[in-house]
Amino acid sequence: MVTLFVRDLRVQYGSGDNAVNAVDGVSFSLEDNESIGIVGESACGKSTLGLAIVRSIPGGRVISGDILLDSKSILNVSEEEFTGNIRWKKIAMVFQGAMNSLDPVFTIKQQFEEILQVHGYSGDRIKTINDAVDAVGLPVSVLDKFPHEISGGMKQRAVIAMALLLRPKLVIADEPTTALDVLVQAQIISLLKKMKKEGMSLVLISHDLGIVSEISDKVAIMYAGKIVEFGTMQEVYSNPKHPYTQALLKSTPKIKGGLDLISLKGNPPSLASPPAGCRFYDRCPEAKERCETEPPVTKTKTGYVSCWLYEESK
Amino acid sequence: MEEILSVKNLKKYFTKGGFMRQKETVRAVDGVSLSIKKGQTLVLAGESGSGKTTMARLILGAVEPDSGEIIFDNTEINTDTSSLKKIRKECQMIHQDPYASIDPRMKVFDIVREPLDIHGIGRPSERREMVFDALRDVKINPDDVASKYPHMLSGGQRQRVVIARSIATKPKMVIADEPVSMLDVSVRVGVLELIKELQNKHGISFLYITHDLSTARYVGHFISILYLGKIVEVGNIGDVLLQPKHPYTQALMDSISEPNPNNLHSEKKIRINSPLDIDVYHGCRFRARCPYAIEKCKQEPSLEQVGNQRSVACFVEIN
Repeated sequence: MVTLFVRDLRVQYGSGDNAVNAVDGVSFSLEDNESIGIVGESACGKSTLGLAIVRSIPGGRVISGDILLDSKSILNVSEEEFTGNIRWKKIAMVFQGAMNSLDPVFTIKQQFEEILQVHGYSGDRIKTINDAVDAVGLPVSVLDKFPHEISGGMKQRAVIAMALLLRPKLVIADEPTTALDVLVQAQIISLLKKMKKEGMSLVLISHDLGIVSEISDKVAIMYAGKIVEFGTMQEVYSNPKHPYTQALLKSTPKIKGGLDLISLKGNPPSLASPPAGCRFYDRCPEAKERCETEPPVTKTKTGYVSCWLYEESK
Repeated sequence: MEEILSVKNLKKYFTKGGFMRQKETVRAVDGVSLSIKKGQTLVLAGESGSGKTTMARLILGAVEPDSGEIIFDNTEINTDTSSLKKIRKECQMIHQDPYASIDPRMKVFDIVREPLDIHGIGRPSERREMVFDALRDVKINPDDVASKYPHMLSGGQRQRVVIARSIATKPKMVIADEPVSMLDVSVRVGVLELIKELQNKHGISFLYITHDLSTARYVGHFISILYLGKIVEVGNIGDVLLQPKHPYTQALMDSISEPNPNNLHSEKKIRINSPLDIDVYHGCRFRARCPYAIEKCKQEPSLEQVGNQRSVACFVEIN
């Protein structure tokens, strides 16, 4: 049983004049046994957000806000306690490029054992490892192999099995299918769907709206460090409110749909000197003068949207 | 309509291993035939290891085929220097990763100019204008960008520079190897639109290599599906993708996830089996993973015409 609550989180890299707020005032919540998709383009801060939740941001730090796991802050606990009781036990992460995050000089089994050892696991190690490998549909024979001896899809499954090893309630998966072949990608999606059914909560970080629609109950659309729209996946996909969400959905080619796609002009703003108002301003087809000031956050049926178009009439 | 490129029965085997290990032959391209009509786009689709990129390398003469024939613009391409010069001038390439395919130490202007210098196109005094034209064609303002270095550009802009370089020599054909897979979703469509526009404007034929069938549908006219070095299905792209006749094409279509709220509560079914441990080069190559395999599949199916410009290599009728 787990709930995750992120409140007004800000994560900064660098300092002084070079400071960049990669995550800039992000709030969302995740109920028990739910899955959320964090969607956005490269450099929008989605990976940093995931890393912040496992307190592993290389070179960055949380400067404000809070992350609550089951109503307890995980930012205030000591590093020892976080490693001992939370990281990998309650929250695990499947890193981006996970295929390359395996150590080439150890067998898969040795790498599983290392995790158990670091976390002082006292149960039946071999059974735990075999169960985890079995849960992701890999043969046990994989354990005695080195990473280079198995395919990309198998490595990805092995990395997911590692994240599941200590039966965490919450798994953060950062682009778990990128760089995999289409068929393998689909198999990993089926696997994540199955694990979700079995009670796991999942934060899925992806740029692919299609994959998110397979797995996520809720979706947060991130743009330049901020969440611009948040709600249930059904609501956001069938009734997108923010112009950026609308553009993302319309720029995804569909096999059966028409060929009338919309492309966005320009590039996201630099996070080193973000514009004062709405960050989507210079690419937005709906931009007006008022957008040069910070847009209001308006409640929607299942979440919120941050755009002047939906300013509540007073 | 006349063909710009016609490839017949092309073969390329690679041998791996050897020292201290048993030699193993990989049939990267095994008897592939395809043709591209002038001004049209052929999509060559398949997973990694299917031989798509080897095909591109064979066509451009970067590797020599074991056997087979490549006819480009009525000229046979072989090891003869003049034929190689012809294809390398008139058939250009767009690579997958715009962060790796342009020299970080060259300015945009020099990057786009280089092929003109190499092939001696235009007088040196004219080349500046040719470079500017190419940049304008890809919707880049030459006055802003020509003197910049690649690191000052975004991914989408870099890929546009790569495309400008590929069209600067006014080629008849361009081979695009996964040109949008490294780009962000929001800029992908812009690059795809650009490819279509350049085709209409200059009549360029494209060989579009990809594993992403949804973007393929957007730019392609015809499609050839490649599986382990063999073409399993060919046809008009709309027909093939909407009514696949080969089980492999069907599995590829099943694996696509499109943004659809109904996906969440429906099970994802991919009609493919986990691979059997059999010799893939014996009989149908897809037999090891095919859910429809029958006894006859131990023989090798040939690519048979099944309809208007449509061929499929399969003994089973799946729909």
